Amino acid sequence: MMLSLKLAYKNLIRAGLKTWLNALALSFAFVLIIFYNGLIDGWNNEARQDAIEWQDGTGQLLNASYDPGDPFTIEEGHGFLPDSKQKNLTPILVWQGTIYPQGRMMPVLLKGIDVNQTTIKIPTNILKDSSEEYPVVIGRAMATAAHLHQGDRMQLRWRDHNGTFDAAEMTVAGIFETNVPFVDAGQLWMPLRRLWDMTGLKGQVTLFVANEYYTPKKIAGWEFLDQKTLLKPLTDIINAKKMGGAIMYMLLLAIGLLVIFDTQALSIFRRQKEIGTYIAMGLSKPEVIGIFTIEGTMYSIFATAMGLLYGAPLFIYFAKTGISFSVSGDTMGIIIAPTIYPVYGVGLILNTFILLVFSAAFVSLLAAWKIVKMNPVEALKGKAL
Amino acid sequence: MQGKIIVIEHLVKRYPIGEGEFTALKDVTLTFDKGEFAGFVGPSGSGKTTMLNIIGSLDRPTEGMVTVEGEDVSGLSAKASALLRKQHIGFIFQSFNLLPVYNVFENVELSLLLLKKSAAERKKAVTDALEWVGLQDMAGKKPPQLSGGESQRVAIARAMVKRPNIVLADEPTANLDAANAHIIMQTMQKLNEELKTTFIFATHDEKVMKYLKRIISLQDGRVAKDEMLEPKTAQP
Repeated sequence: MMLSLKLAYKNLIRAGLKTWLNALALSFAFVLIIFYNGLIDGWNNEARQDAIEWQDGTGQLLNASYDPGDPFTIEEGHGFLPDSKQKNLTPILVWQGTIYPQGRMMPVLLKGIDVNQTTIKIPTNILKDSSEEYPVVIGRAMATAAHLHQGDRMQLRWRDHNGTFDAAEMTVAGIFETNVPFVDAGQLWMPLRRLWDMTGLKGQVTLFVANEYYTPKKIAGWEFLDQKTLLKPLTDIINAKKMGGAIMYMLLLAIGLLVIFDTQALSIFRRQKEIGTYIAMGLSKPEVIGIFTIEGTMYSIFATAMGLLYGAPLFIYFAKTGISFSVSGDTMGIIIAPTIYPVYGVGLILNTFILLVFSAAFVSLLAAWKIVKMNPVEALKGKAL
Repeated sequence: MQGKIIVIEHLVKRYPIGEGEFTALKDVTLTFDKGEFAGFVGPSGSGKTTMLNIIGSLDRPTEGMVTVEGEDVSGLSAKASALLRKQHIGFIFQSFNLLPVYNVFENVELSLLLLKKSAAERKKAVTDALEWVGLQDMAGKKPPQLSGGESQRVAIARAMVKRPNIVLADEPTANLDAANAHIIMQTMQKLNEELKTTFIFATHDEKVMKYLKRIISLQDGRVAKDEMLEPKTAQP
């Protein structure tokens, strides 16, 4: 094995430019795989953190009749929970309404929230400090869509729990910046007590957001969704994106591997005399196959070294400065920060290296397998293939 | 048969050609003593190279028995054949077959690497081998920088560096001019005398024949003549 390694290494090093060009081709795949996965991992980390901080907390206790994916459940999806069971929970009542900014009609989701909460990052302190009768805070995306600014007033129309229409003038007390479209687009956040008054649902809540001290208990009429369950749709989207991206870099990897296969297959064709000489000098066919397989595999090692050489400074730079995107979460409908900080972990680099080594070894073995059928006498003359 | 380094008995070698087959060697029986300087001669297709390939266990007999260093090559596994070649047989080819990416020293050293000799042993043996062939000053050169004669001398050094008992040389002078052919033959003759290595050639080159102590003429795969010659030192 050591001898095969030595010979393969020597053969590659002595082949000069050809070796480095092949390694360079494969190194693109190595760098791109790490770059893309690092970017996705960075996005994943930030998106999960944002989702936790803005929306999910450590979990949510939902009224059993309420389904966040079904707006028809809003009307009935609320109920009472004794105060004793509300410890470490932030109550939110969800209701529907319509606003008329600049005379336009816009359906909205009204969210009444405890103004003293600190579990999620909705700036409820603005609501608490506001002297307005109907203060609301909205996200930047909502403000942009409705052409609203801080201090603007707009008409809100809603129906109370008996179905009676009512209307009032809301004041935009604050506009917050968030990457989480699910707390922004089409939503008005207002004091819970105010929404209770507006709807006649005093004491009733649609869902609670749990903080880190909350211990989930089974409560009749309520269902607790833990953080993992709440983040699953996000994880699924990110994994789907990862798979989509994998197609791109797998293509690049395939090109890199094709280069190795081609080089090795051609090399075996051109180096028949050398193969015959090895056999004449006392190497067995498996040993010669070993040399050629190791040669091909070494491309992946060189590619890794080369990729790290020019890739590492890039990775470090992007991990520090982040990568800005012109799209934002509200246009994409997913949680995405304007600047993503890629995460390049040792595991990612190691896994990519292993993927590269194994795939290079496989294609090299595939190419070298021709030697099995090679007649050494013909090989010595260069006529075995 | 005691003391014989190579014993060939009723050797037949057939090759499939299309639907039929071609018989390259027909009932050949021969023996070689240690230290012989012998050669198979004959026209193209007479079976010279096939003889060398079978003795060198690169090819297998169809019928008959070939014993090299006490080992019946027809029954050897691929691994045992490789071991036999690695330890006891050196090859010299018409087209030199030097590895182009290695320099002269490394080409010669390769045989010893395969035998897992230490670095110090390799260095000494390679230096000695290059001295035998008069190329001690060319150790760092690559094959493309060498002339044909020099390349073949490197090939001789590579075959001899492990001190094999048998060296098989297939048309070693075919690609060389007359002057270089004589230098090569003289080098091998000297090594044969000094190291008692058995040299077996396959050739139809008159210049080579002049140096041989035994000439086995092959005709259509049969031994037509097997003559021992008076030891002599041919002059260029």
